[in-house]
Amino acid sequence: MAQENVLEKENEMAQEGFEPRILGFFCHWCCYAAADSAGVSRYQYPPNVRVIRVMCTGRIDIRFILEAFRCGADGVFTGG
Amino acid sequence: MIVAETCRQFLSDCGINPDRLVLEWASAAEAPRFVELITGYVNSIKKKGGVGSCEGEADAETIRRRLDAAVKAAQARKPRTALGLLAKKLHKKGEYTQEAIGKGVSSKILPALRALRIREEIKLLLAGASMDVDELCKVLSAGPDELEKPLAEMQKKGVVEVHDGKFRLAGK
Amino acid sequence: MCTMYCPRPVVDTYNERLDITRAPHIDYAQAIPSSYYIDARACLRVNYETCNLCAQTCTAGAIDFTEQPKELVLNVGAVVLAPGFGRVDEKVLEKFGYGRYPDVLTAFEFERLTCASGPSEGHIVRPSDNRPPKKIAFLQCIGSRDETCGNGYCSSVCCMYAIKEASVAKEHEPDVDISIFFMDVRTMGKGFDDARKRAQQKYGINVVRARVPRVDEVDGRLALTWTTGDGEHHSGLFDMVVLSVGLESPEDAGLISQVADIELNHYNFCRTSVDAPLVSSRNGVLVAGAFQGPKDIPESVTQASGAAAIASELLADSRNSETVTVTYPDEDKSLEEEEPRIGVFVCHCGVNIAGVVDVKAVRDYAGTLPGVVLYEDTLYSCSQDALKSIAEKIKDNRLNRVVISACSPRTHEPLFQETLRSIGLNPALVEMANIRDQCAWVHAQEPERATEKAKDLVRMAVAKARLLAPLDQPTVDVTPTALVIGGGAAGMSAALSIADQGYNVVLVEKGRSLGGNLKRLTWTLDGQDASMVLKDMVEKVKAHKNIDVLTSAKVESVSGYVGNFTSTISRGGKTEMINHGVIVLATGGREYKPKGYAYGESTRVVTQLELEEKLSRGKGFLKNARNVVMIQCVGSRGEDMTHCSRLCCTQAVKNALKLKDLKPELNIFIFYRDMRTYGFYEDLYREARRKGVKFIRYTLVRKPEVIKQPRGIMVKAFDELIGDDIEIPASLVVLSAGISPGENEELSRIIKAPLTPEGFFLEAHAKLRPVEVAVDGVYLCGLAHGPKSLEESVAQAKAAAAKAAIPLAKGKVAVAPIVSRVNQDLCIGCGICESLCPFSAITLEKVGKRKKAQTITASCKGCGICASHCPTIAISMGGFTDEAIMAQIHAFSPEGCKEG
Repeated sequence: MAQENVLEKENEMAQEGFEPRILGFFCHWCCYAAADSAGVSRYQYPPNVRVIRVMCTGRIDIRFILEAFRCGADGVFTGG
Repeated sequence: MIVAETCRQFLSDCGINPDRLVLEWASAAEAPRFVELITGYVNSIKKKGGVGSCEGEADAETIRRRLDAAVKAAQARKPRTALGLLAKKLHKKGEYTQEAIGKGVSSKILPALRALRIREEIKLLLAGASMDVDELCKVLSAGPDELEKPLAEMQKKGVVEVHDGKFRLAGK
Repeated sequence: MCTMYCPRPVVDTYNERLDITRAPHIDYAQAIPSSYYIDARACLRVNYETCNLCAQTCTAGAIDFTEQPKELVLNVGAVVLAPGFGRVDEKVLEKFGYGRYPDVLTAFEFERLTCASGPSEGHIVRPSDNRPPKKIAFLQCIGSRDETCGNGYCSSVCCMYAIKEASVAKEHEPDVDISIFFMDVRTMGKGFDDARKRAQQKYGINVVRARVPRVDEVDGRLALTWTTGDGEHHSGLFDMVVLSVGLESPEDAGLISQVADIELNHYNFCRTSVDAPLVSSRNGVLVAGAFQGPKDIPESVTQASGAAAIASELLADSRNSETVTVTYPDEDKSLEEEEPRIGVFVCHCGVNIAGVVDVKAVRDYAGTLPGVVLYEDTLYSCSQDALKSIAEKIKDNRLNRVVISACSPRTHEPLFQETLRSIGLNPALVEMANIRDQCAWVHAQEPERATEKAKDLVRMAVAKARLLAPLDQPTVDVTPTALVIGGGAAGMSAALSIADQGYNVVLVEKGRSLGGNLKRLTWTLDGQDASMVLKDMVEKVKAHKNIDVLTSAKVESVSGYVGNFTSTISRGGKTEMINHGVIVLATGGREYKPKGYAYGESTRVVTQLELEEKLSRGKGFLKNARNVVMIQCVGSRGEDMTHCSRLCCTQAVKNALKLKDLKPELNIFIFYRDMRTYGFYEDLYREARRKGVKFIRYTLVRKPEVIKQPRGIMVKAFDELIGDDIEIPASLVVLSAGISPGENEELSRIIKAPLTPEGFFLEAHAKLRPVEVAVDGVYLCGLAHGPKSLEESVAQAKAAAAKAAIPLAKGKVAVAPIVSRVNQDLCIGCGICESLCPFSAITLEKVGKRKKAQTITASCKGCGICASHCPTIAISMGGFTDEAIMAQIHAFSPEGCKEG
């Protein structure tokens, strides 16, 4: 991508306040539990992540991650 | 970890900044750590912008097409076997250094994924227009040597045909 | 209906008399039993034989005024007393203006004000003018630590609940200014000090260490005066004063004592002893909760389980003699096979969700999703009547998939699965969208974006629900043996209880003999000889036919799952394998080894346990002693470790009293940060003060220094009252070294049981599952869980034993149906899955000519590493199929994402 293009895009983001759409794959026993516990403690964090619960990060297939990006995710957070 | 590394390298191959994918650890007791990680991560993606707008990334349209091809590649038996075998080997050795994983993935898995990605992408490209080898090389970010084999095979199978020095999908 | 038509208003006692209701009413939405009842004291029909409106309007005909009281006779083998606590007399509160000034509230009333289902719907307003207060004062120790009202004890819970209520108030109204007036900040519970610190830092709650003697009114505001530790007088005006009232013994304690023929202590609570904290003076009569002494929810729940264990010991012979088996209707297979008919229930959870997320918008959005035939919102989905109504709606609408959009599936999925089962649907057909713990609670400041997120989560859950399939409910037999790790007081108590309940126990102790920290204790806090308590326990354990003791032994590995664990124990160079159904972790803790304070440099500097060892040998060492200095919180509360070690304050006071007994002319100085002699231990503190022990507060920035001198040692410290440093030549310095966790890391890895940041084992839920670990079949007690007294360790050990006995008694455990399944037509027998499975739950077996993978259902934990590494995508995970996860990913995109 051309340099101007990048700059233009960055400006656009700064103006609009880019809010990424992020998909999370959280392990039921670890990260998902930590996220629940963050809720119980009322910690606040940005609402950009949508979570898919899996029983273990080992469940995550390369197809899932590629598919997530294909479906418009700006990022994928896998949490064990 | 091997899955994550494979994805990172493959995302890179597709023109996506691999840092858009992270694998982090937070135990059930580590709510504060989780919040830190997730906040930091969201901010890092905010800085990167949408897919395709980060430095070094391909344009959105190319990425979209490559992902379509990549998803098909990830279903194939050959790269999946390579992934399974590498996981099995490293597991047996108990070798989980970043170096060993990175090397294993780039030498054993990525080539198979890339080859299939290119093959699938050729199909997608030719569905839209006829193209010659040079044009294909450019949009695929691949060398002519990488195209030789898949094009020959697809010709043999009758999937593509040559017309006026350009390739096109058979029957078009 | 009955409440609506009743002409007789009565005060709503559930809402602390801040609201009114009618004679027929239900106390609160989640009350059990969830049916309405008539307040007989107010009812016109009962008292004057008039009215009868309710009976006529009740469409169910459920009101019958001809019913008479009945006397029932029950034959039982054990009685558990759990009458809770009583209220502090209003006369005590009047001193603080309660009853005279409307804006002086009790903390119970304040709690109702902050509650969404309360009289003001969660808005904090002054009763006098219904306007939000700008400045609120919390006064601690109302009716506690106060001999003038007869309550010399500390109520143990008020410091923490005041901090909680203040934090909640700050969340509602960030601008309100809140001061809490403490004598000592007693947040000694597990994780409580952290919560207090957060409240101070995050919400800016002012902590004032002073006791406010009275409350006056000045120009419609409330005036307080107080004196701080430096002798300064202060005064201030507040808009609202909250009295943190203590917990008393129940009003009818005397009657209970008479009827049950049990002894009460001098404060009218049930009398128990340190080594048997749940047993009353009468055989077979047990006690749990606040009637045994003021305590918080985790401890009450723990005691309740503990009392159940003792009852179960007493009833061991008659186990299974009068059981009722729950039966479920047959599954409606044909309905399950029909096209998905999805019902979505969006929960308000009071204001927990609805206060942030627009629940109605989410509900309506759910209605637009494909396959959804019913979409509703519910106030509390988990309440009994809501579950009933959900069940009815599933039936009436012939739903075959259900999405509950509420809290976390980790805590509530079993409840909804049970609801499905009860009406003949496979429990795997429910999916939850977590819009509370991972949405409303964590995005409280961004309601619109939280609502968007909630919609997305519901869309993803519905997408998954469409593809849910019924799953089998396999069960496996349980090995009726418990492995107890750790042979201290907690481990021995747990082992004895499980053995007395009729099951086998293998007790593994890494040291050469049983006893743990109890071996180093000289006296218990109630003055018993600790060595006798120890001897008694050890003898019982050794003599018990169901207990196998392995000393100098170490657990090397644990494999398996609840019901069928196999552990390798190494002992004297040899290893042996043990099969067992459950695990109790009782690995204990250690006395913190002090750093600094000239510890290890002078023989005159010792820890409290070392002092006890000296004391047990007689008073010879005190011959030339004049001054003894004790320093609290050595290692604890941010000095080195972050946690409060809970019992050092009481231990110091106990030892100071012992020293005073042996040599009354001794000067004893105790340097402390907050004296945390909670509960009845407050008596010891008061006695120590009365006997002339000097208590001097210090802060972390100005810690006392121990200086070694050519002759003896000197303690130099800042005295707040004098405003200057003081120097005390000390014959003996006693460091109240805290409790550090044992070497838990290795075991935590082996068992996959998480630790807290401090290194103690983490319970599955602080209040609801205080003695369970996140790993099924693993239970927790004693110092392994966190610092606590002997009495608390014993109660907790009993509780762990009660929980551990559940799978043992059932004899079978259900295996979660989330296991992997191999499609053998696709399997090429490569063996990758077999080699990667962390639970050895997949094997290759010969099927026809080729080898094929096969899952060992009982061992499989559903991690899915086999599925994600299968070259031919031949492995499918129950409840987490590729198709379902892909559907979630596709639904992640708001526009939807077509299959490639």
